[in-house]
Amino acid sequence: MRNDRRTTDATGRSGLVFLALIASVLPLPGGESAATATPALPVVTKPTPTQPAVGLPTDRHLDKEPPRATHGLDLVKMGWTYNCMDCHRLLEAKWHRDAPMVEHQNIRLIHGENRFCLNCHHPTNRNAFVDYDGSEIAESDVVRLCAKCHGTTFRDWQAGVHGRRNGYWDTASGSRSQLRCIQCHDPHAPKFPVMKPLAPPTYPARAAHPPTEGRAQH
Amino acid sequence: MNPVEPADGDSRTVEQACSPLTRRTFLKGSAASAVGLAAMAAALRPLLALEKENLTLDALLQRHYRELTPDQLGRILDRLEGECERTYGVHPEIRDIRPRDGTEFAYALNLGRCIGCRKCAHACLRENNQSRDSDEDINMSYIRVLELEKGGIDLETSDHYYDPGTVPRPGKYYMPVQCQQCREAPCTKVCPVRATWKEPDGVVVVDYNWCIGCRYCMAACPYDARRFNYSKPKLAAKHINPDQGYLSNRIRPKGVVEKCTFCLHRTREGKYPACLEVCPTGARVFGNIRDPDSEINYILQNKRVYVLKEDVGTRPRFYYFFDK
Repeated sequence: MRNDRRTTDATGRSGLVFLALIASVLPLPGGESAATATPALPVVTKPTPTQPAVGLPTDRHLDKEPPRATHGLDLVKMGWTYNCMDCHRLLEAKWHRDAPMVEHQNIRLIHGENRFCLNCHHPTNRNAFVDYDGSEIAESDVVRLCAKCHGTTFRDWQAGVHGRRNGYWDTASGSRSQLRCIQCHDPHAPKFPVMKPLAPPTYPARAAHPPTEGRAQH
Repeated sequence: MNPVEPADGDSRTVEQACSPLTRRTFLKGSAASAVGLAAMAAALRPLLALEKENLTLDALLQRHYRELTPDQLGRILDRLEGECERTYGVHPEIRDIRPRDGTEFAYALNLGRCIGCRKCAHACLRENNQSRDSDEDINMSYIRVLELEKGGIDLETSDHYYDPGTVPRPGKYYMPVQCQQCREAPCTKVCPVRATWKEPDGVVVVDYNWCIGCRYCMAACPYDARRFNYSKPKLAAKHINPDQGYLSNRIRPKGVVEKCTFCLHRTREGKYPACLEVCPTGARVFGNIRDPDSEINYILQNKRVYVLKEDVGTRPRFYYFFDK
């Protein structure tokens, strides 16, 4: 599942690059025909996608990529800075939608009893999240939003035992990073997704029983 | 023969005066030493054969790690680096990293979070230079991930060969098992040559050059934490991690036992072990148990931890717990 997502993102990205290349390289065929054809889309230069580094740069042999890769995050990683209020200043906030939305079709809210957009999203400023008292929580402060309900988990996260830490356990020797809630959990469907396990050990010749036999017993 | 008193003005020493070197004694002595040399050459002949098998005389006469002077150890590290470069084509940096003062390691694993993806078992090989036939081969990994039925901890029906399309499977949970770095380690007690021992920071290590390969320790270990090099380690140059420690992840010779060392070449420098670095669910917690503010102490104080096979009295440094 993750691989599919990654490939679609990659194709989407390369598609954008391809369009940009065509727009910049292809010479427009003369004034009159250019006027009749649809005007070319403005070329937006985007920086190469970067993720905040996780762990030590010397550990290239270890796969430390955070487990979550979503469309929205990828857009941010690609350098998009989008303003939600560009659209949402026209669209009023609703507590509940019965029909699927026109936009955000990829969002499925599978978050237990927490099934209303405005439980987390701010009703008037969609670039921010909402706190208990209706005040805004900045996007970068998402941990505080999750802590509203998941207090015990937040406490453990602060102590460094929920969510992976990378780098140095001894902060006197070097710095360490800690993954934040949405680097692992999709906030709309926070249950950890199933994964393909890596290859199992094979049957060692010295063991007494072949593994299939052992498996058949239970 | 009566002792001869040297006369006054005689420049000879007492020994020279007492045993004058005659032609007869000279011939006798040289014949005896010729016989001795021949005998010694014959006795040393097997060593020449050993040299061909990549075991040098230096390696054979090497002393136990804990008896080495810094000078000797430095020469050994240079020799091992050279051997690795000649055999595997990669020049490693092999260091001797000593335990830190005021440090005792402990590990905790949250079984409620582990999903059995085996990333830790594979990262272990990437880090620790174990022998492998292919990228998929993790038979020498220090970590076995057991799949167990929910509702109990029945190791006898556990399965570490599970390979479903996706994990976690319904009704199952997963328990990675590696060296528990026991405080009462049975493996160190049975070693006939004391090639394995417990370091001050709690890590049980092996001097791979002192190990005779009898595998008593493997039989004594209740956790199947040790691996034996039945053949010379097979490692492609691109798979070799050049950051190596004498007591941890340097490439082992044939015929010795190896084990998890909590990645001591990393952890003694303050880094996290490799298995923790890659865990996608953050199920692993590692730290210094002597530091009251460490993550591991938070676990021990706030979570209900248990140790594996408590009844065998090994007092592990590896704790398991179930949590959200």
